[in-house]
Amino acid sequence: MTAEFDEDDRPLLEVEDLQIELMTEAGIVRAVDGVSFVIRHGETVTIIGESGSGKSTTAMGILRLLPPELAVLSGTARFQGVDVIADPRAVRKVRGRTVSLIPQDPMTALSPVHTIGQQLREAVRLRHRGLSRAETVSRSVDLLARMHIPDPASQLGKYPHQLSGGMLQRVLIAIALAGSPVLLVADEPTSALDVTVQAGILGLLLEVQENTGIGILMITHDIGVARLVSDRIHVMKDGRFVESGEAEQIVNAPRDPYTRKLLTAVPRLGPWDEDGESPDAPIALGEPR
Amino acid sequence: MVRYVAQRVGQSILAIFLTVSTVFVLVRLAPGDPAAAYASPLATTAELDRIRAQFGLDKPLIQQYGIFVQDLFHGNLGTSFSFQASALDVVLSRMPYTIMLAVSAILFAAVVAIPAGVWMARHADTARELGANVAMIAGQSMPEFWSGIMLLTVFAVLVPVLPASGFTSWAGLVLPTVTVGILQIALISRLVRREMGAGFAAPYLTIARSRGIPERGLTWRYAMGNSAVPVVTALGTRFAAMLNGVVVVEVVFAWPGVGSLVVRALETRDYPLIQATVLVTAVLTVLVQLLIDLTYPLLDPRVRLGKAVAS
Repeated sequence: MTAEFDEDDRPLLEVEDLQIELMTEAGIVRAVDGVSFVIRHGETVTIIGESGSGKSTTAMGILRLLPPELAVLSGTARFQGVDVIADPRAVRKVRGRTVSLIPQDPMTALSPVHTIGQQLREAVRLRHRGLSRAETVSRSVDLLARMHIPDPASQLGKYPHQLSGGMLQRVLIAIALAGSPVLLVADEPTSALDVTVQAGILGLLLEVQENTGIGILMITHDIGVARLVSDRIHVMKDGRFVESGEAEQIVNAPRDPYTRKLLTAVPRLGPWDEDGESPDAPIALGEPR
Repeated sequence: MVRYVAQRVGQSILAIFLTVSTVFVLVRLAPGDPAAAYASPLATTAELDRIRAQFGLDKPLIQQYGIFVQDLFHGNLGTSFSFQASALDVVLSRMPYTIMLAVSAILFAAVVAIPAGVWMARHADTARELGANVAMIAGQSMPEFWSGIMLLTVFAVLVPVLPASGFTSWAGLVLPTVTVGILQIALISRLVRREMGAGFAAPYLTIARSRGIPERGLTWRYAMGNSAVPVVTALGTRFAAMLNGVVVVEVVFAWPGVGSLVVRALETRDYPLIQATVLVTAVLTVLVQLLIDLTYPLLDPRVRLGKAVAS
């Protein structure tokens, strides 16, 4: 094995034996206990689990967004070869450039006193320093247009409270893509949204992936979401992966009893019903906006 | 907007009128006789009656009030008993000194307290922050007359580098400013620390950090941008309070502002002068408050004037 990798062959993210211990009032809790996974170009890897399983802690941990005085990390997490666990400062090189985060609740994820345009232009300028103001604006408008946001130029002057949750999530995806990252970490990106809006956001993520080949780490508790977007699924419980495999296999032939339990917790697939809660319903709706 | 301002001005005029009326009654209820203050110590009852008649104090209270209100609407606040000049003119001649001290003290406080509060928020719950907190609480606990006298003793007497009293040169502004500033710094820095602490914990800050925005940008643009309303409110309210005369500090440093004037007016039962001081400072306070309110929509787009803050 040589040290010289072809850039494109390197995995976007390689996590090995990641452990995260959190200081809580009840003492030290091992929230993540030795998980390993790999994400390559164009892949979507999903970590699915109940709340408290450690899935979001994994995502926040590899981005070094857990408060350093409250979380102790060990193992490795390499973004295109840059290990952010051994050297916490290295994460500055990858944030926004190699990897971007799509948050759980779009309503609180943008600064309420700055316009959409200010926050989007700032993200564009971080990566592309030499751009003039006009170029930055046109790139911002372009990004919003790619997110199918109607009348993108006029949205730049708006404040977050003037947009709906679904629109804000599109804006946040645009901001996440502003630095042209190769990997997105989507932490429950649709849980705070209406069912009808969820499908649009998931569809958008898949479209972005198709166009750019971006890798996605999807964190979700929703097997419907996981089944729709994933190449591989890791089922997480109490800080460990209890089962890992191709999406097909996990959904259709789960081996672990916990995975089976998780699958049966989903309402049965059926014809369209009044409450529209069957897992395929959002998919059938397509682009609602 | 125009309607909002008109409404506010209407409310303010009513509030000022009520304040002045209350003070009119209260000073007359307080013990002490102006005539006795201006007559010679051996004055006869007849002489005292003559002085009372001259000041118009022999008339029934309700009639005095009627005359006061009538004069007020003609812009006449009466003649100061002790200065024998228009009470309004006396107050206005002192006002620039108080405004100068208030502006200087609030700028000093803001320049020190905002970075100090930010620093404390960034080092929250460390030994260094605890140390800073202790210093701030000490500053908050020092009475102004004491810290003023201590500063005087050190910088005007032991090491005479600064003037001790009055306003003869700009250097004279230093010690009063620092004395007023100490308390304000203690109060405002802890407010800034609390607001910034909340700002640092906000989800949008974590999300901004996740996209590679440097800590400096997170601190000043994101956390401070979102703390601006309470910080500006605190600075504005403190400033308005100082315009009422920084009484203790003005007396300690013989500062020629309205604070020391009002002490003298109270001592000599100079009713017109007290009333004029209250009216002028009430008007200024209301104006400053209106100005602060008008900045809110600039600081937080969710604020629409005339409506509550949307959360």
